[in-house]
Amino acid sequence: MSLNPYIKPKKGNTSFVMLDVIIALLPLVIAGYFAYGMQAMWLLLIASGCALATDVIFSALLLKQYRSALDGSAIVTALLLCFTLSPITPWYMVAFGAVAAILFGKITWGGLGKNRFNPALIGREFMAVFFPVVMTSAGIWATKDYIQTPATNLFPGLSNEYLSSYLSGLVYKTNGAMGEYSIALIALGGFYLLLRKRISWHIPLALLAVFFGSFWFIENGQNYSYSIAGVLLGTLFMATDMPSSPTNNYGKLYYGSMIGLVAFIFIIGKVSYEYMSYAILLLNGFSYKISEVFRPKVWGEKLDYKKRVEHIFYLTLSILGCTLAILSLHYYDMVSYLIYIYIAYIVLKFNFSFIKNITNPI
Amino acid sequence: MIHIPSLKSTTKKIPIQKLAAPNMLYLPLTTYKGTLSTIVEKDSYVKKHQKVAASEGVFASSIHAPASGYIRGEVNIDNQSYLMLENDFKEVAIPAKQFTINNITEDEILSTLLDFGIEGSGGAKFPTHTKYNTGSKPIDTFIINAAECEPYLSADYTLLKNYTKQLLEAIQLMQKVIKASAIVFGIEKQHKELKPLILQTAKNQDIPVKIKLLPNEYPQGGELQLIKSVTGKEIPKGSIPANYGIVVSNVGTLWAIYNAFYKGTPYTNRIVTISGEKAENIGNYEVAIGTPVSYILETIGLTWNATSQTVILGGPMMGKAVQQPEIGINKGSGGILIIPNPTNKRYNCIQCGYCVDVCPQHLMPMEFARYSTTEDILQLKNFHVNDCIECGACAYICPSDVPLMNSIFKGKELLKATSL
Repeated sequence: MSLNPYIKPKKGNTSFVMLDVIIALLPLVIAGYFAYGMQAMWLLLIASGCALATDVIFSALLLKQYRSALDGSAIVTALLLCFTLSPITPWYMVAFGAVAAILFGKITWGGLGKNRFNPALIGREFMAVFFPVVMTSAGIWATKDYIQTPATNLFPGLSNEYLSSYLSGLVYKTNGAMGEYSIALIALGGFYLLLRKRISWHIPLALLAVFFGSFWFIENGQNYSYSIAGVLLGTLFMATDMPSSPTNNYGKLYYGSMIGLVAFIFIIGKVSYEYMSYAILLLNGFSYKISEVFRPKVWGEKLDYKKRVEHIFYLTLSILGCTLAILSLHYYDMVSYLIYIYIAYIVLKFNFSFIKNITNPI
Repeated sequence: MIHIPSLKSTTKKIPIQKLAAPNMLYLPLTTYKGTLSTIVEKDSYVKKHQKVAASEGVFASSIHAPASGYIRGEVNIDNQSYLMLENDFKEVAIPAKQFTINNITEDEILSTLLDFGIEGSGGAKFPTHTKYNTGSKPIDTFIINAAECEPYLSADYTLLKNYTKQLLEAIQLMQKVIKASAIVFGIEKQHKELKPLILQTAKNQDIPVKIKLLPNEYPQGGELQLIKSVTGKEIPKGSIPANYGIVVSNVGTLWAIYNAFYKGTPYTNRIVTISGEKAENIGNYEVAIGTPVSYILETIGLTWNATSQTVILGGPMMGKAVQQPEIGINKGSGGILIIPNPTNKRYNCIQCGYCVDVCPQHLMPMEFARYSTTEDILQLKNFHVNDCIECGACAYICPSDVPLMNSIFKGKELLKATSL
């Protein structure tokens, strides 16, 4: 027998949530097509195909769920993964990344929504660990020969040359990863998700404020280089990923700020490419704890603020401790061991714990 | 809080119609906390308005015959007791009690509320005499709850619109007991056309009232949420509003109070909205308490069919799906809705946090789903499952149709079973 309530909003279910994310990402696909043509499109297709196939096969085999591919989340993961990669990444690596993202980022956690880490970033880290030479070579970013539509001055009417080239760069450029060719379109997608209430303003605002605020605050902040498009893409589409981010508003503010701060620390600590992925993945791990610590004040409750401040203090301390630990591992080139540990952990956890709760919706 | 399309416009303009009493009445014996005991013999003859069942204690209540006829014994339907009364359609009534309103005492008012079985009509059926028995506590604000926030329902709206004067008289009478310094009507913005009507009528009767227009959000009519909107006080669940100088009364209850003191009749009829996509002859009806759902369906030209439609007693958010068509209308039923069977598209929880955003009590409902399945009582307590008012906003918004209400009910049961 079904319980109350007996009415539901129209077009509000989970596959519509995923559809909205795909809609928000489509302009970036088009920008990718303009920049690198079929070269980029093939990679997107391969990633989507592999992600869907992995989802269908392993959901059926491991989770005994047969309609999970219909929810659209595999496509979201595949697109996001590609958006962090160079358009000339070898296709088999992209395929590997997509399979790893779905299998180790989602299915072994028990399926959609149960993953604690962003699957696309998990896929990316798997690629970085298993194809270290290609992923860190300078050659992979030498994409000049493949450009279909070169970036041009889109504002010839402006007399100020610096301003017109700056504005043109915001609208369209051809360097960087596949999702980074248009800051304007990234922002557009973000606004769409905000309007549709698929993301809230808390994480992006806190993240960007802390991140850029930190560079403004330190001396020589302008000397550090990072990809604004990459930071924005990570902020709007990855840090806001629902399953791996906190569930309440104060938690989201804290989470966003900490990603901003940790990414800043990584950049200062000379992590040149992975600062955003590391920062998001690190905070993913603390998401549930953050949700718990920042639990909203229940109606009429007298909150023990002293206790809450203490909890926040220890939470921050552990996050910063982990940041330094990852920085050290990065320095000694040992981040790959984290992925090995992750694989061992998730395989064991799946076999001995998650598999028992597959029918639970949470 | 959440905006839900109200779907009230279809019924709110239709005048109140009276539904004839059925051949067999099923008088509900379940009350706020407990059950009424029948005080008349099986097969005995009872007159209209005669008391047929009562209970004692702080939450005492009673129920009266809406028609004359023969008592046909108790019956258990869907784990609730009902007293069957066979209508003889002779309308033999006990003489209506006369009150001299000008000289009536506080005690007389309170004892009449009890004697006439007046209960809260908003749904919880809290005994009205208990609510108004505020003793020497000073009352600042007397809130009239006209925020009928459940979609579809417009019973309170039509009462306010058609019986403004009578409701104000009932308010004036209850003021003799609570002596509140201010009377405030809480009305949703979608019904703002009522504001001039109430203000003008109150002015004619020389009653100082204020109107608070509330956002069209659910659950604005929840007592705690209404108190906050009107007075700014955020009082915890489980506390008595009178301790904070507040009394909240529902429009339907005031209508029952008016009938008690000005017509001399006990609580035997209420206004019920009949609506829903699959309903015919929709509108607001005056229905005898105990009228079975099957009879109502027949009267509006439908038949009971569990496979093609869902019948809900109450509103769509907090009401209950009717399993057995014989169950009778109770004093808290504001509506009968006939809607298509709800479809359930269940996915895993995606941690979107929508339920947290909409929860009027500022809880984290998805945690109840998590810890009810693992039966983690300590965590259920840490996340305050008992502060849930069961409004259903979380389950409404959930894109994955996670069984949140199930988890909440189970969580509360788990907590009740322990000493935590």
